[in-house]
Amino acid sequence: MRLTVLLKLAMRSVGRNTRRSALTSLAMVLGLALLVFSRSLAEGAYDKMIDSGVRMGSGHIAIQAPEYLTSGKLEHRLEGEVATLALEAANDVLRESLLSWAPRLSVNGLASSTAAAVPVRIEGVDPELERAFSDIEDKLQDGRYLEAGDRLHAYIGTELAQRLDVQVGNRFVLTAQTSTGDVEGQLVRVAGIFQTGIPEVDQSLIHIPIDTAREWLHTPGATSTLAFLLNESELTDIGVETLQLKLENERQIRVLGWRESSPELAAAIRLDSTGNYIFHSILLAIIALAILNAVMISVLGRRREFGVLQAMGLTGVETGFVVFLEGLFLTVISGVAGISAGLLFTWGFFRDGLDFSIFMEDGLEFGGQIMEPIVIPHFSVEQLLISTFVVVAIGMISSLYPALRASKLDVAEAMKFEQ
Amino acid sequence: MKTAVRTTSLWKIYPQEPDPVEAVRGISTEIETGDFVAMAGPSGSGKTTVLNMIGGLTRPSRGQIWIGDREITEMSDKDLAQLRLERIGFVFQSYNLLPVLTALENAEFTLLLSGIPKDERRKKVLELFNKIGLSGLEDRKPGKLSGGQQQRVAVARAVVANPALILADEPTANLDSKASEDLLDVMERLNQDHGTTFLFSTHDPRVMERSRRLITLVDGQIESDERRNHLSVSP
Repeated sequence: MRLTVLLKLAMRSVGRNTRRSALTSLAMVLGLALLVFSRSLAEGAYDKMIDSGVRMGSGHIAIQAPEYLTSGKLEHRLEGEVATLALEAANDVLRESLLSWAPRLSVNGLASSTAAAVPVRIEGVDPELERAFSDIEDKLQDGRYLEAGDRLHAYIGTELAQRLDVQVGNRFVLTAQTSTGDVEGQLVRVAGIFQTGIPEVDQSLIHIPIDTAREWLHTPGATSTLAFLLNESELTDIGVETLQLKLENERQIRVLGWRESSPELAAAIRLDSTGNYIFHSILLAIIALAILNAVMISVLGRRREFGVLQAMGLTGVETGFVVFLEGLFLTVISGVAGISAGLLFTWGFFRDGLDFSIFMEDGLEFGGQIMEPIVIPHFSVEQLLISTFVVVAIGMISSLYPALRASKLDVAEAMKFEQ
Repeated sequence: MKTAVRTTSLWKIYPQEPDPVEAVRGISTEIETGDFVAMAGPSGSGKTTVLNMIGGLTRPSRGQIWIGDREITEMSDKDLAQLRLERIGFVFQSYNLLPVLTALENAEFTLLLSGIPKDERRKKVLELFNKIGLSGLEDRKPGKLSGGQQQRVAVARAVVANPALILADEPTANLDSKASEDLLDVMERLNQDHGTTFLFSTHDPRVMERSRRLITLVDGQIESDERRNHLSVSP
């Protein structure tokens, strides 16, 4: 095949009808720019949700006893050598990608005051590690978060405080079944009150110092969850796999990624992502039709020209290939312009993000998380490569039919065609 | 004298409801190498169809065609394309230059397809342009040339690779008298200088007058075939 000649012909043809090429390109450029922008925005929102979700939950990676995820019971805990081994393995595997970690000892119980008794989720935390790990301190409404050295302090949600009718400095009693099987109480004093905006959390979550929890529940050195926060959520899967491999002989340990430990969040992102994919597929279909239309009109309007090419000695396949290349060039040129325009437009929001607070004054709960109104778009190299691949694929597929038509041309009939 | 083209019992029938159209009906003829032949006849007499079949652009329904010593009716599309590239040049009524290429690029197109190096291509085309009065117009796109100039570029494109046969379908139909005479001069000169065989389909009395042989078709058949004994290139 005389590739250089065919390339030259195709490039010239794209350049010849500048108005048609420009209009087709414009449709593609706008479509792709919109695609890049909306995809970046969605990725940015997911990043934010995942970050917030894993900080409030069990981190990107969690190490627990195998049954803990389903039971949530105190009896399924890590302690002694097993806990030490798990922590050492995590430190060894995650190394530079580890941002912070936090141990948590969790139990379901009852919070009682003179006003009410409310079922709660009590989490024993290390105040210093927790502060670096979660952003719950940022949700402070009154008082302060737990500090190192605190013993009988509790950090509770606004709705729980209302139901118990307690304020900062007031005392109330926590009751739970301890590791011995007995139900025992623990008097605590409100150190601070937080509000996340998520009713379930504000109604039921209580943070107390982990040493207090261990002493009260008779579980020295125990943790329900060792939670690890990574630099990037994309590292979760590889981190989980490596840790699982390292701890595969430890039957008392289970390693989970955030999708497993926070299934609600994972499902919400999956659902939203599916919606996005449908929207993007529609956009891509419109782009494909624009190319098909442009190339098809071009083919139908240039039958005589293609007839001449074949009369001069080009084969049908070569003539079809010229048409195919034209479509491909149009796609690549418009694709590069569209992706660039999308990136350029999105670029302006990379630093300060896009403020959606006008649409969500009271906050929007999504997947068990409150969505931050400011979304910073995220555009990855992987996404860029996928977009480029998709654009080229669309160009190739859309150009195939017109190319086939051109290759099957009846030359003698084509010569009669008035251009 | 060697035979450039030979047809035997050539038929072209277009399937059409209710009755098939018999565009060409059993034409048998021979055209000698180096001849300058006009094929005349009224519209619908089958001139263009015969040219298209000889050029391998359309396949006959029956009969055989030889270009030189090669029988072409059973050739594959790919072989036919190669044959056109190597041995046949086309000149069309509507010039049919490729609008995306300059005059020079149009003229060198067949050389380009044949893989001739750039320097050699340019040299041949420039010499030819000089000979047929196109010097200085090399870089113009077809849209910037007059009808006569475009047709001369088309002739240059057809002859530049020294094909054995030029098939010209109503080459003067869109030209005024002066441009027609000039074009015929160019073609006669090329015929004389290079021994290229020319076969025209035409309505134009000027072309018929200057041909050495005139075949007249009526209703897809040869009505008359006369040899003429003059050749006159305008001074």
